[in-house]
Amino acid sequence: MSTRKYLTAAVVIAVLGVAHVFAWETTEVSPGALVDGWRGMARFLAEALPPDLDWDAVVRPGLEACLTTLAIGLLGTTLSVPAALLFAVLGTRGRHQVVYQVSRSVMSFLRAVPDVVFALIFVTAVGLGPFAGVLALICHNVGVLGKLWSEAMDEVDPGPTDALRVSGAREPQVIANAVLPAVVPALIGLLLYRFDVNVRSSLVLGLVGAGGVGFLINQSIQLFEFDQMATYILMVLVLVVAVDLLSAGIRRRLT
Amino acid sequence: MENGLSVKGLRKSFGDRAVLNGVDFSVGAGELVVLLGANGSGKSTALRCVVGLAEADEGVVSVAGRELRGLTGAELARARRAAAMVFQQIHLVRRRNVIDNVCAGGLAGLPLSRSLTPALFPKDLRERAMACLDRVGLADRAKDRAGSLSGGQQQRVAIARALCQGAKVLLADEPVSALDPAAATQVMELLRELARNDGLAVAAVLHQPDLARRHADRVLGLLHGEIRFSTRGSDLSDVDIDALYAPDRAVAV
Repeated sequence: MSTRKYLTAAVVIAVLGVAHVFAWETTEVSPGALVDGWRGMARFLAEALPPDLDWDAVVRPGLEACLTTLAIGLLGTTLSVPAALLFAVLGTRGRHQVVYQVSRSVMSFLRAVPDVVFALIFVTAVGLGPFAGVLALICHNVGVLGKLWSEAMDEVDPGPTDALRVSGAREPQVIANAVLPAVVPALIGLLLYRFDVNVRSSLVLGLVGAGGVGFLINQSIQLFEFDQMATYILMVLVLVVAVDLLSAGIRRRLT
Repeated sequence: MENGLSVKGLRKSFGDRAVLNGVDFSVGAGELVVLLGANGSGKSTALRCVVGLAEADEGVVSVAGRELRGLTGAELARARRAAAMVFQQIHLVRRRNVIDNVCAGGLAGLPLSRSLTPALFPKDLRERAMACLDRVGLADRAKDRAGSLSGGQQQRVAIARALCQGAKVLLADEPVSALDPAAATQVMELLRELARNDGLAVAAVLHQPDLARRHADRVLGLLHGEIRFSTRGSDLSDVDIDALYAPDRAVAV
């Protein structure tokens, strides 16, 4: 028995070792190239510092683009709520098996396709710009938010529901007075968390042409204006931290 | 059993396992009856069948003089409303305040337009709820969050919610199992007062023979889904109790 255990361990270690060698080759890992390239990185940093703080050429467009990024994140979250709610409700346990499986599959598919891929698809449909970003976020977020919400709904304690049913309350009364009070704080918390994530995602979407400050970062890199890029990245840092603090603060007050 | 509860020939199986093998009992108005029995003896299932949380396979249940058999839909719901239930896990909406939780017991009589959120609850329901809360001695906690009360206080709020339902029959499924001894005594005394002074028919499932002996008018012993004995609370003997719990012990050894 114990010989077999050692044999199993040896096989697992060998397989893992081979996998890592293979991965090393495939990704062309080369510490030498990194060492040789330090000069390029140093030049890059030297050019990025100090950041270009020209108001008309850099800072004002940057702030406007940050607002656009925020707006993409906001609409991408809010407009996904109706569909996410529908799939979440249909995907809770206890539904008819077909309904349950179909809604779970739709949500899995929407989650599996990265929002960047959705953005590339919508850029070809509606052209470059923030609208493509909004559409992409909606699609991906319906999958993620729907899944998170239906799990939150599954976890609701059925006790108060039973108590009201026994008192003779009708189904809408039970939902309004037992299910919703228990579940709404959790749903709002998850919604804020997704808003937080979506604002960060919309930065990446900007890189593939869906507007916002991500788009400006991409542009400044392509034009070798690294000092402008540094300004935009600082703005992104502030934006992300601000949104994170805001949503965390509200979520704390909810629980 | 004009205003009480009567159960005849109640049978219930989950799959192959028979939980209730023809249970007969009645609880008169003004009487506190305690059901004792080992885990799995069918006590809770019997209560759940009365209020409709479980569907009995066979048997006749009358609540406040109305036989439930043959009734359907709204009429069955109205007849069942005469029986209220409190639970071991209390089942209040913890985030809502106490008075809103009590009001929730009286939702059945309201139109949807007045019942979808506490702000819409009509004034007479609030007044009735306040009277029920006063009855359990917690009127001063009306505006507190339900979750902020102690376990014993929460169970009394749950009893007030059951009163607000306007029930004639009050069923309690292990109402004191999660409470400390002082709170348990307080809840049991409240249940007995509701029987004696307010004329409710009260049936409580308990796991503590001592509490049964002290508070019950009558004690029913359940074993393997049948009533094994029925005795006055003060006459409950250790032999009776051993008869209920010994078979489990024999299996355990």
